[in-house]
Amino acid sequence: MIRFDQVTKKFKDDSPALEDINLEIKEGEFVSIVGASGAGKSTLLKLIYAEEKPTIGTVFFKDKPLDSIKRRKMPFHRRNIGTVFQDFKLLPKKTVFENVAYALEACGAPKAEIMEDVPQILDIVGLGEKMHKFPRELSGGEQQRVALARALIHKPLVIVADEPTGNLDPVSSVELVELLLKINNLGTTVLLASHDKDIVNKAAKRMVILEKGKIIGDEAIGEYKIS
Amino acid sequence: MFLVIGRTFKEALSNFFRNGWLSLAAVTVLILSLYILSLMFVVTKTANGILTDVENKVNVSVYFKSDATPERMEALQNQLEKNADVASVDFVSREKALENFKRNNANEPIIIKSLEEIGDNPLLASLIVKANNQTKYDSIVSAISGSDYKDDISRVNYGKNKEIIDRLNKIITEIKKFGLGLVVLFSVISILIVFNTIRITIYTHKNEIEVMRLVGASNTFIRLPFVFEGILYGIIATLISTVFVFVTIFLVNSKISTILTSQNLLSVFYHNVLFIIGVQLAVGIILGVVSSMIAIRKYLKI
Repeated sequence: MIRFDQVTKKFKDDSPALEDINLEIKEGEFVSIVGASGAGKSTLLKLIYAEEKPTIGTVFFKDKPLDSIKRRKMPFHRRNIGTVFQDFKLLPKKTVFENVAYALEACGAPKAEIMEDVPQILDIVGLGEKMHKFPRELSGGEQQRVALARALIHKPLVIVADEPTGNLDPVSSVELVELLLKINNLGTTVLLASHDKDIVNKAAKRMVILEKGKIIGDEAIGEYKIS
Repeated sequence: MFLVIGRTFKEALSNFFRNGWLSLAAVTVLILSLYILSLMFVVTKTANGILTDVENKVNVSVYFKSDATPERMEALQNQLEKNADVASVDFVSREKALENFKRNNANEPIIIKSLEEIGDNPLLASLIVKANNQTKYDSIVSAISGSDYKDDISRVNYGKNKEIIDRLNKIITEIKKFGLGLVVLFSVISILIVFNTIRITIYTHKNEIEVMRLVGASNTFIRLPFVFEGILYGIIATLISTVFVFVTIFLVNSKISTILTSQNLLSVFYHNVLFIIGVQLAVGIILGVVSSMIAIRKYLKI
């Protein structure tokens, strides 16, 4: 589904953020990408949702090279990918419902679909009761689940989670990973980047280990020891 | 398509009100610029009106000696009418001149009385000559005084008016230059300020723009709310500035209407009110939209 072919990414004059990455992720997989801060996890994910372009090499999505997608078509590519971040990136002036609905509105979905799908997805992440609250009225764990609901609303093929538990307490973190596993069980490919060993070990799934921009390990059921 | 326009317009409205202070700043700057532009327009338009009025009043009066024969007078009239620089020639007979004089001085019994005492008509027949163009009067006057009829002419009345007109002309040209300079200056300043203000409002939205891109919103969908916001700025600023312009003109007009009887700022404003509003709307909207478009480009890269 996603394939990195000899990808190197450099920012300006610095040493490469990613160097010679070859990686294949199959449909329906759950892959944890681990490594210390600055190892290149975020950059790797950004290449997938095309926020960054590789300096050398090609990233394929469903066998299609991303650099062949025209700028105007890029939003359609992004609708295949749901993103979750450490800082949630919720819009503070919109309610929970509006935050999630917004992703559908942006794609031109009809109102009836929005009214039906949004409450449904909020129920799945366990926030059906709180859909008319504003993000500041929710706990961190709840906010992240709103972000996850927003990422899921398009029924994306892939969920990309970049340090999703970075701002959460341990209990919320575990809950979030369980939620990601559940989503994966329903057929969505999940990419989870984290430096938190408890979290990725809890997932107990395929693990790609990054260090200084290089892949130094790729195990079917990995255990992350160094933290 | 309508769905997108409806949604983005709603978005723009809520942006406008949820970012009250920034919107207020942007609109205020726009109002000031539009206000000055409109005022300058009304003032120059009025000054032009005054100039045309004065120019229309300019003429050359050719007074005939009392012994000039009607044939000679008519011959001069005919000759002048053939002159390409002359717009019109009106003959005023001695009787007509007396009649006009009496009418103009009807409220002055002493003058009328003294006229009656003279018994005879003291006034002279004359030709009132108007030129096509301000600058032609000199050549017309010299044509008259150089003609075969110069012995029939008592005097040519032009010199006095000329100086006043020249001076007025100079003043009005200066006013126009100054006004144009002001308009250009303020346009540049307001473009810069409006552009900057809108850039700031878009900067405050940069998280939203990021989120929009991540959820796969098309560039059009991201851009439209800001474009609508720009249009909204333009419309609101136009309405308020028009009210301000009206109030200013109304107040100023009552003060100066005693000095300027021929021209009236208020009536100039009334006659051009649609034009003024139209231009303001166009300037306001274009400024708002173009600034938004340029400012948002930065956040739409890739």
